Amino acid sequence: MNCIKRILEYIIVFFVIISFNFFIPRLMPGDPFTFLSSDEGSVHSSYTDEQIEKYKAYYGLDKPLWEQYKDYVYNLFRGDLGYSIYYNEAVSSIILKRVIWTIGIVVVSIVLSSLLGIFVGAFSAWHRNSAIDKIIYSIMIVFSEIPSFLIAMLLLFGLAAGKGWFPLSGGITVFGEYKNVFEKIKDIVHHGFLPVLALVLSQTGGYYLLSRNSMITVLSKDYMLTASAKGLDDRRIIFRHGLKNAILPVITRIFMNLGSVFGGAILVENVFSYPGIGRLMREAVMVRDYVLMQGIFLNICILVLTMNFLADIVCRKIDPRVE
Amino acid sequence: MDKSLLRVEHLSVDYKLNNGEVNAVRDVSFSLNRGDSLGIIGESGSGKTSLAMALMGLIKEPGKVRGNIYYENVDINSLSKREIKSIRWNKIALVFQNSLDVLNPLLTIDEQISEVIVKHLNLSKESTSKRVKELLEMVGLSAEIKGYYPHQLSGGMRQRVLIAMALACDPEVLIVDEPTTALDAVYKNEIIKLLSELHKEKKFALLVISHELETIFHLTSKINVMYSGCILEKGITSEVLKNPMHTYTRGLVDSSPTINPYRDLWGIPGESGGSKESGCPFRKRCTQSIEICSTRVPKLEYVSLERQVACHRGGIVTLLEGKNINKIYKNKKTIVKACDDCSIKVRSGEIVALIGESGSGKTTLAGVLSGTILPQEGEVVFEGKLVSGNNFTSRKNGIQIVFQDPFSSINERFSIEEAISEPLRIIKEDSYEEIKIEVKKALEEVQLPNDENFLNRKCYTLSGGQRQRVSIARSLVMKPKLLIADEITSMLDPSTKANIIRLLKGLQNKNGFSMLYITHDLPIARKIADRVYVMHNGKIVEQGIASKIFSDPTDDYTKKLVKEGMSEFN
Ligand SMILES: Nc1ncnc2c1ncn2[C@@H]1O[C@H](COP(=O)(O)OP(=O)(O)OP(=O)(O)O)[C@@H](O)[C@H]1O
Ligand code: SF4
Ligand SMILES: [Mg+2]
Repeated sequence: MNCIKRILEYIIVFFVIISFNFFIPRLMPGDPFTFLSSDEGSVHSSYTDEQIEKYKAYYGLDKPLWEQYKDYVYNLFRGDLGYSIYYNEAVSSIILKRVIWTIGIVVVSIVLSSLLGIFVGAFSAWHRNSAIDKIIYSIMIVFSEIPSFLIAMLLLFGLAAGKGWFPLSGGITVFGEYKNVFEKIKDIVHHGFLPVLALVLSQTGGYYLLSRNSMITVLSKDYMLTASAKGLDDRRIIFRHGLKNAILPVITRIFMNLGSVFGGAILVENVFSYPGIGRLMREAVMVRDYVLMQGIFLNICILVLTMNFLADIVCRKIDPRVE
Repeated sequence: MDKSLLRVEHLSVDYKLNNGEVNAVRDVSFSLNRGDSLGIIGESGSGKTSLAMALMGLIKEPGKVRGNIYYENVDINSLSKREIKSIRWNKIALVFQNSLDVLNPLLTIDEQISEVIVKHLNLSKESTSKRVKELLEMVGLSAEIKGYYPHQLSGGMRQRVLIAMALACDPEVLIVDEPTTALDAVYKNEIIKLLSELHKEKKFALLVISHELETIFHLTSKINVMYSGCILEKGITSEVLKNPMHTYTRGLVDSSPTINPYRDLWGIPGESGGSKESGCPFRKRCTQSIEICSTRVPKLEYVSLERQVACHRGGIVTLLEGKNINKIYKNKKTIVKACDDCSIKVRSGEIVALIGESGSGKTTLAGVLSGTILPQEGEVVFEGKLVSGNNFTSRKNGIQIVFQDPFSSINERFSIEEAISEPLRIIKEDSYEEIKIEVKKALEEVQLPNDENFLNRKCYTLSGGQRQRVSIARSLVMKPKLLIADEITSMLDPSTKANIIRLLKGLQNKNGFSMLYITHDLPIARKIADRVYVMHNGKIVEQGIASKIFSDPTDDYTKKLVKEGMSEFN
């Protein structure tokens, strides 16, 4: 019952999003062709009236709005996000190629930063108010306040440009040849290291603070006293009884944060010229490729929605109290 | 050498707070053997839980524990952390105060019980699972609830799970903290029954901590009464609850609905406070404190074979004692023995009811006790001094009498102010202004107006209930330690009667005087009295604790009286 309600909610939100995605550009003054044909973007030469008519017919922009909307939804469900004029390729296949890179650094950075945050946070909470706790706490506060792209720039100048330890751009060596899979993986890791590091540094603080806070709350709970009274080993008390309870809000936060991590990733990717969605987005903006931008926006929204949904499921799995 | 299983010596627990220190437990000592049961009773905040935590070694910084806890003659404080962990739960287990949070919300009941078995007993997987099943069944739960999470249990089930969990390793000592507080009456009885059966069967040493007398009464054979971290009275549970010797214990018993089902509830006035001060911790609420009480801490001392009381005055003191009083009235033809070898005691802070038919000699005895009537034989002692004439009725902090007919002793033509202030004016200790203040205060206490208008009203304009209040006020200005009330409500209608009784009991509870309440109205006696004397034909035929006299009288006359007097109420 409850479950069906949740799913219905997600479906409604989904429709609201795709509708926004559809209507907003169409309700804005002017139409894409005034941009497409303007000189300002200076990538394309201007269009003739004939061409514009052709494109309009192609995009179905000459049909009534309601028809357009129907077509749009229909296409969406077929996986057809439209066609990018600039790349001369289907938007869905462009995004698919690029999104892998972004998901890669986002997921890796989330896993690393949340694990680091949780454990260091729990450690701090267990030793709260000690010198070590105070030191870790101040460091974490500082990092959580610096925006990720700034960290990315510092890393780029320091470790890539300055020391030359890491490549300056790209996700993989262009035209690289590898003896085996490991070589290739090594290359990818080498390229991805700094973007991931930038994201990890900027996110760990948040998870740390949350985890420390949550653990401190949990430590004062009666069941923790019960656990110590039972003469259990410290390890069991901390992990099985403490952390399992303390981790719940952190998990919710991980999924909730996804949007902002993507936002961070988009900026960081641009700093490192990393070939993910973020860079693609910049390119799309540069050339005013509306169809592509819409596709990217839609994808990110769907991704965040899915993650929220996953968060729901995971919390339900861990916490028996959630009905 | 003491061979006790668990021995606690001079145990203290202090918590450091920003604004000072709380002495949650102060110098507590006791010992327990296998099969023993000991109850610790005290109001909320008296340090009971802190004591239990200290026994489990669970007091954390900034808490500090002093003193010694010996388990099988080994001082627990001298053990390493690992050794302490091997005693915890395995040898000394605790049934925590029931709350939703006391069990881990994310782990199943099965896991929470089996983890201690795995840790301490090292059983195989199958044996562990078998043991969990046995334990759950032992406490009257079905083994199915193994897979449940705590939030799926009711309060009563949770209490049983807590007991099962505590008994998982067959501990030698079981500490139970407030086992029945959060439960309704039915569950309460079930849990008490379960615990007492388990105790009989398993023979562990049982320490029950509670503020509920009923629970302690049913589960333990010995009792320690705790206040503000100190033990104030020790003894055999049934004895202590039946006949408390410390003023605090009496207050506890008086405020317990189950021990005193008929009496109105009156909490102990004042607040408990746990700050570090010299002197008796209870002195601010004690009705009989003397000078030394605020300078020296009283030590527990034996007052009888099995009873220890920590009080500079040896517990509740006897305020008034009449010994072997004989009073005979001789008329021309007849000889009436109004008092025939009567002995009576009124202790500090208590209400004693003297009941009997009219003509049984109650008023005569009251007169002798107050000094207004001279007996042929016997003597009356008030605070160690002989009572004679008006030596105690005409001074402050002495004895005052309120009569059935309020104006038998007051001039009806007096104004109210004159009537109330008369005794003070006679002894001439205070100035006019001081007297006026006292009069106004007394009027307020008896819930009458105290404006000039009312003060100047003549007494004969008052109703019966108002007159009785005025005469009570007239006694109160003398700040009596003993108030003798002779049939004061017999001339009043039921509702006024109830109001006056409530008023008197409230004043008694607040000001702490003792009261000798003379009446033939048994329901009222049962409602307010601590102890009862039954008088018949000039003789005291029976005396004892009120609850006992009314529920289980031994004397034939009392039986008849109780049967008749109470019949309409049962
Ligand atoms: N961790 C603590 N830090 C500071 N003070 C404490 C702490 N625990 C208890 N106290 C104080 O110690 C005193 C005794 O508390 P304790 O919990 O032992 O009382 P209790 O008799 O168990 O009361 P209740 O019947 O309400 O459970 C109280 O004044 C309380 O405020
Ligand atoms: S008489 Fe003194 S020592 Fe005894 S209980 Fe009262 S205050 Fe404490
Ligand atoms: Mg408690």
